[in-house]
Amino acid sequence: MQTSLPSSSPVIPQSATKEHCDHQVDCLKMIQLILDGEATEQQVAKLKIDLESCQPCIKMYHLEREVKELLAKRMEKRCCPDELVATIKSRILSFS
Amino acid sequence: MSDTPTRDDRPAGADQMLPIDGNPAEQPQADTPARGYTDEQKYRIFNKEFMPHIDSMYNFAFRLTTDEDDANDLVQDTYLKAFRFISSFEQGTNAKAWLFRILKNSFINDYRKKSKEPAKVDYQDVETTYNSEDAETEHTVDLRAESVSDLIGDEVATALNSLPVDFRTVIILCDIEGFTYEEMAKILDIPIGTVRSRLHRARNLLKEKLRDYASSMGYKEESDE
Repeated sequence: MQTSLPSSSPVIPQSATKEHCDHQVDCLKMIQLILDGEATEQQVAKLKIDLESCQPCIKMYHLEREVKELLAKRMEKRCCPDELVATIKSRILSFS
Repeated sequence: MSDTPTRDDRPAGADQMLPIDGNPAEQPQADTPARGYTDEQKYRIFNKEFMPHIDSMYNFAFRLTTDEDDANDLVQDTYLKAFRFISSFEQGTNAKAWLFRILKNSFINDYRKKSKEPAKVDYQDVETTYNSEDAETEHTVDLRAESVSDLIGDEVATALNSLPVDFRTVIILCDIEGFTYEEMAKILDIPIGTVRSRLHRARNLLKEKLRDYASSMGYKEESDE
């Protein structure tokens, strides 16, 4: 179960030359695979090359990572109410 | 592991059976390998392997039902089912995925119909819509990472809750609970390829909602729509 972004995330350079990407949807899918920790090493290597030159891909990468982090870290996490835990435990005991 | 089986003799091959493939929410007796746990073993598994996930389970239930009472009922039903069919769970395997699968099945079977939310679009419809040619030529949502980083949890939660439940579910499982695609495929009973494509579409929908929030908050988007 992966809980954090893969350590193999490509390093994003500050400047890139290509301002238009013809494969944005495919690149986006690849970026998601990588951030989800589901990409192969070859896929990571390929994207790393893309990210060295393609401005739109760099933007997409940052956006996807930001959204993923937001979901992982900034959503309110509730605790299961104590009464519910107690109810479940007492119901279980009455089973045997 | 079970020197004194109290219920059934364990059928041949029970150990090879992935516990997540047992389907306690639907057909507990049918093809579920029964493990002869003693009562003591059952309580130990329940307390050591099932209860530690109760907060995650509660959050999942609350995000599915968007209602505290329904979430309570759903978690309780799930844990009672899990105990009742504990013989189909193999000790030491992925209890969290096993429990999430029961919860998701209970939600679909028992809660979706009586949900207090307005009638939801069936995911088949949504998926067909987003599978269309248009969907492929679409769609990278024009939203900047900087705008997203200014959003707060409540806004993200509202955006997430506004998604059709099947899309919401894959985002919860992947991004909030950190399940792998393979685990999600088992929890949801869908192929891994469907997990991937549903996740992709769900994220596009979510980003559209987030973009709406970001722009309503006055962030200037470089949108050419």
